[in-house]
Amino acid sequence: MVRKTRHFKDILWVIALSGLVAGVFRLWFGLGATTNLSDAMPWGLWKVFNMVGGVALSTSGFTVGLLVYVLKLERFRPYVKPAILVAFLGYGCSCTALLFDIGLPQRFWHPIFMWNEHSFLFEVFWCVLLYFTVTAIELLPTIIERFRSERIVRWLHRAAFGVVVVGISLSSLHHSSLGSLFLVTPTRLHPLWYSSMLPVFFILSAMGAGIMVVVLLRILYARWYDPEPVFGPDSMNIDGQTCVIVDPLSGVKPRVVRGTEITRLAQLASIAVSILGVYFLLKAADLIRLGTWRALASGTWESWLFGLELVLAVVLPITLVVIPGSRRSPAGLGIAAFSAAAGLILNRLDVGIFGYFQDSRTVYFPSLAEWALGFGVIAAAGLIFLYLAENFAIFDERWKERRTFRMLFQPAFDTLSRVWSTALSDNLNRVTLIAVFVIPAAWVMMYPPFSAAHSSAAAVLPSAGIDPARTVLHVDGDRSGVSCDFPHVEHQTRLGGTDSCSICHHVSLPKDHSTPCSRCHRSMIEPTSIFDHTAHLTYTLTRENLTGWYPENRSCAVCHVPDQPKRGSSAKPCLECHSKDMWCAVVPVDSADLMHACSFSQAMHNTCVTCHTHESVRHIEYRGIAFGIGESAP
Amino acid sequence: MYAILVDVTRCTGCERCVSACLDINDLDHQRAADDRLVSPDGLSANRLLTIDKVESGRFARKSCMHCVDPTCVSACLVGGLTKSKEGPVVYDATKCIGCRYCMLACPFHIPRYEWDRTLPLVKKCDMCMDRLQEGQRPACVEACPSDVLLFGERDRILKEAHNRIRTNPDRYDQHVWGEDEFGGTCILYVSDVDLGELGWTELMTAGIPSLTIPLIEKTPFIGGGVAVGLLAVNWIIRRRMRLAAEQSSESGSCDERKSGGIG
Repeated sequence: MVRKTRHFKDILWVIALSGLVAGVFRLWFGLGATTNLSDAMPWGLWKVFNMVGGVALSTSGFTVGLLVYVLKLERFRPYVKPAILVAFLGYGCSCTALLFDIGLPQRFWHPIFMWNEHSFLFEVFWCVLLYFTVTAIELLPTIIERFRSERIVRWLHRAAFGVVVVGISLSSLHHSSLGSLFLVTPTRLHPLWYSSMLPVFFILSAMGAGIMVVVLLRILYARWYDPEPVFGPDSMNIDGQTCVIVDPLSGVKPRVVRGTEITRLAQLASIAVSILGVYFLLKAADLIRLGTWRALASGTWESWLFGLELVLAVVLPITLVVIPGSRRSPAGLGIAAFSAAAGLILNRLDVGIFGYFQDSRTVYFPSLAEWALGFGVIAAAGLIFLYLAENFAIFDERWKERRTFRMLFQPAFDTLSRVWSTALSDNLNRVTLIAVFVIPAAWVMMYPPFSAAHSSAAAVLPSAGIDPARTVLHVDGDRSGVSCDFPHVEHQTRLGGTDSCSICHHVSLPKDHSTPCSRCHRSMIEPTSIFDHTAHLTYTLTRENLTGWYPENRSCAVCHVPDQPKRGSSAKPCLECHSKDMWCAVVPVDSADLMHACSFSQAMHNTCVTCHTHESVRHIEYRGIAFGIGESAP
Repeated sequence: MYAILVDVTRCTGCERCVSACLDINDLDHQRAADDRLVSPDGLSANRLLTIDKVESGRFARKSCMHCVDPTCVSACLVGGLTKSKEGPVVYDATKCIGCRYCMLACPFHIPRYEWDRTLPLVKKCDMCMDRLQEGQRPACVEACPSDVLLFGERDRILKEAHNRIRTNPDRYDQHVWGEDEFGGTCILYVSDVDLGELGWTELMTAGIPSLTIPLIEKTPFIGGGVAVGLLAVNWIIRRRMRLAAEQSSESGSCDERKSGGIG
């Protein structure tokens, strides 16, 4: 029976160890380097899937406790222990994931001492903290009864009812508060999901799906370890079967109830789907109240997602449980339960992630590290669950037999110990060794370089403020610290279409240091020769009114000094003739002969800005100070 | 409570305010210029103030709006964000645990995170709180060459804003952005174009905390009510069970109880 779960456990080990590696990387390199979170999508998989979703799926401890201890439905008592274990592990792995998700994990204790009682997150923190303690207390008798510490168990049993009631009221608070977390985003969350009813929706769906998780786990447990009560031939025989139920928490005398395991599971599932039905009706009424049903009919991908979520979370489970044939079969019940749980997770992802895509104009997809850690903690919790289910009286009292069986045939702990002990002697186990250690390591090695991951991580669409088609870029082409708008598409078209990339972008230059703007637009940046010799020649001819056989030759002497080589440097200074052209400009120092005109930008700074800066400063002094601190208004 | 009036019609987009902001916050100009290209709206942890070119071609300042009733302050679970009496919403880096709920909560998408650091903090404009306490104006207001930004007491600034749009109806839309939206902000805009892109919406005239705070104040009563209700229900059920057991023992039947038959 343990062998059935072996491969499943191998997979869990791989995922859990990958998660461990991802967790180490996250702590070492930081959140930005290992996740795909961005300013536009600050909450990702770990928060929404692990915390909001994971905590919601761990409602079982609260709902089954409510059914058994408060409503006294004794026939569900066998499910109290698994339910509490699921709650404990669920909260445990949510808190673990959260510890990696917060930016400064070493400060996780801050909310204990620093209070903001107006924050729903603060309420969630406290309730989760307290409820986690409550589940631990509820779980304790099961764990320590194996070690024969009778007095502590008796003491815990006496406190059971009080602890359960405290747990239920804490749960009813924080499961709704998880929905209230998203109440602060009325303008950001997609209207299909935003509603003032979010807290009610969250607690109802969590209660329904939480019960379904217990149903699912009971069926899986039966499949792996003990098929008789659920899958056996007598399991369908409703009448004439009785079973003995021992109270796990308060240790009351054994009770006898009628009905088989599968009928009790069906009853549990029908309680769950009636809660889900109420949830569905409320949700439909809310769509009509807010008028958002029109958005549902609009055919956007959000509306399809909304529909899929409701089908998975509500419609399919209700259908499967209402039809008698599927209700009485473990497979039907199992599918219904799985569908309800998947629908709940999808709902939380919708509210926490997908619903924000439209507003933040971005698409978030978790990085490998996020997947690995997010599922790694769950896999680790699954391993602990299987270990406890095998070795403690969680589902039934048969752990003693199992222990005897294992002592005879197998080493004490799971695959890992088996791998350690026999890895080098057994070829098959060497494969397992590779699967367990090498694959996760290799998997993580394939990560993008951690230090540079962030800038490439968030694939963001441009906001409408910037040109959506990116035809205009904002670049600092000359690396002078001054950036400007650069019409990229226009340059591309002018220089010859898509083949023209290499004119500016050179493969040989690292980090895409493309050609600076000044390479082509010299006159903007550098002093440029503007001297036109032919124009001067013809102009001199007409002005000096030169005549003769070769009037051009006679014109040389107007500028060039006789007996000197005819060069620009030896010619007459330009300003001798052009002084009156330069009346408004400060004469550029580095091109005193004007043969090289100063650059356009320099010319602008030497001319326009000299005066206009004065103007703007004068303007500030005149108007701005009047409303400053300590000054009185005019 | 101080406020800044942004006159969108005057802004030329020279970003001298951004430069001054970088200097006063000891931020690197080069990284800020790089982030301008990466960030979808120009803001980042290296760039707490930016000039957004809105769709109509106007330039609009984008930074923390310093709401009168700030959502981030109500959201932060450790109270790391506070609304000071001078007006700015101030961030306390020693309290922050990095949950990033403020970033989710802000209707203007303002708080930014230092994603490239191993121990990151939230970064946002604090309206130069240190300078305000010394009696100086914020650095961006000092730096603006075009008289776009006007700083002063919020009611005076509001009066001036209304004065401008009244005396110059051709130049401005008859609306002061930030007067009522989200319960009012300390960065107010007068403009001739719609500024919805910056996160403004005229639909919300009350602060977002007014949606959550009344609810959360009921929390202790809900929790207590649930506990009392549970005890009451449990007491009733137990009593009925005891009565049923007494009856059945009188009539001498066995202690087997009926289980709800389903299926």
